[in-house]
Amino acid sequence: MLGLLGAASLLAQDGAVSDCFVKINLPADSPVALLGTTGSCRPTARGPALMLDVNVSLTVRNISANRIHGVRLRVVSQEVVAGGVATVYQPSLNVGPGETFPMRIVAQLMRPTQVAVGPLVQVNLDGVLFQDFSFYGENRLHSRRIMTANEMEAQRDREYLKRVLAQGGVPALRDAILKILKRQDDLPQLTGRWLRGGHTVTNAALAAVAPEHEAKFASLQFPDSPIQLMDGSAMLAGNEARAPSIEVRNIARQPVRYVELGLVLTDSSGRQYLACSLPSTDPAFSLPPGGSARVSQQDTLNFSAAGQPVNIQKMTSFVSQVEYSDGKVWVPNRQSLDNSILEKVLAPSAEEQRLATLYVRKSIDSVVEELKKF
Amino acid sequence: MRHPNQATLALHAGGDLGRFARWRTTRHLAQCGRCREEAAAFEDVRRVLPELTEMPDVPWNRLAAEIKANIRLGVAAGECVRAAEPPRRESLLFNAGRAAVAFASIVVLVVTGMVLEHPAPTLARQGPLVENTRYGIQVVQPGGQTLGLMNAGAQKVTYLMDARGSMEARYVDPETGYVTINTVYAQ
Repeated sequence: MLGLLGAASLLAQDGAVSDCFVKINLPADSPVALLGTTGSCRPTARGPALMLDVNVSLTVRNISANRIHGVRLRVVSQEVVAGGVATVYQPSLNVGPGETFPMRIVAQLMRPTQVAVGPLVQVNLDGVLFQDFSFYGENRLHSRRIMTANEMEAQRDREYLKRVLAQGGVPALRDAILKILKRQDDLPQLTGRWLRGGHTVTNAALAAVAPEHEAKFASLQFPDSPIQLMDGSAMLAGNEARAPSIEVRNIARQPVRYVELGLVLTDSSGRQYLACSLPSTDPAFSLPPGGSARVSQQDTLNFSAAGQPVNIQKMTSFVSQVEYSDGKVWVPNRQSLDNSILEKVLAPSAEEQRLATLYVRKSIDSVVEELKKF
Repeated sequence: MRHPNQATLALHAGGDLGRFARWRTTRHLAQCGRCREEAAAFEDVRRVLPELTEMPDVPWNRLAAEIKANIRLGVAAGECVRAAEPPRRESLLFNAGRAAVAFASIVVLVVTGMVLEHPAPTLARQGPLVENTRYGIQVVQPGGQTLGLMNAGAQKVTYLMDARGSMEARYVDPETGYVTINTVYAQ
């Protein structure tokens, strides 16, 4: 009954978003200010539970003296705070001091009908990245590294497109943008499920045909990578991969504190997908020059495509991100990504996606103008 | 000779039959000693009934229990003395060979089902589940609490799962026009 009363009270919450269920928390010294929020929160009874659809649009102003290149918000639901948290991140921004930009949070919560005290959703500022790679924020969800890596990819891809423009003019730039759009369209879509520990609900027939077995990883080694891939494997069964583990060696001159690998899976028909990333999660992970360590996870991953389970035959690993002990981040260069496997499975970067969208919505001239801003 | 049933005899004893039925029953009783005795027994009961209403504190529950017990006893006794059913005759449509084939088919079906289903490691979920759906990404707790971030109507969405328990969705928000990267974590 209390839940129903709570739901009824929330029904009329269109327009200005009430603090009753969404609370935006910005620190006093935040480089961004919240000018306003609009949106809606619609509860729907689903048996004994209450489903809450939250659609909030924020208008945010850059009140710092630097240009902002990315903002990452942390979204925490009161009901799932013990095991669930989310982030909404806008990369590839270029917001000058005093300028405003919109951010949108579209969330869905399923919760017991017992109404708890306080806001249902808390939104906090986890990170702001500036043009000069300086950072502000609580960084609880590794926003600094993630945003720095994204910005490095953005710089890499802008430089590449600028070179294309300089060498081949607007027609060459248009071709490059069309290739980005085609890559996005041709990207094989994979549905994935992650489960802590045990098994996911895998496909029984596939599991019967292919019982769990250890499969060695193939690896793609990039010439400029600071990390060398040594030996890796995962337990495979049907459309399920469990406990991936790979030994890595630091071949750079600096200590490394984080390594992230990409895993590409090949199915029985030879089709390839970017399956997942495999990060080093140990906070104490540290790899001195010449040192080696294992990057591993104990959890289970399950894959399907177009509603059908993907029969995993092979997995291939590559280094996708490295963070040095001084906070600098390495990402693969364009030559490394120009690979027959990766060009089919890797999505365009966020910056490539932004510029391609600009081309579709406006024109190639808009893309040229945009590149000139950086 | 066709005898009147028990109800007719009881009604006759109480004088409750219609005129024609009473004439016919009286005529039968004049000729049938067994039915005459039955009707007399009913008349005796009728005489006793008014006295029953005067009996103080009749233990109706105990009586009901005894009646139920007697009924069960009767049913059990009936089962004991029931003659065994005659053996089913074999016919062209139903014989031992066909029964064996049908049984073997069922066994094959069950074994096939077990082979396909039994090795599936469909263990009960103890921890959170992270997944991408048609509309976004979500983390689902074992209790059913769900936190999801929706794709906000975006057409082309790129998903990437992280083996440590997070899922990322990247798309261009159709409303703001900005690239947005949503991530849910099962921490």
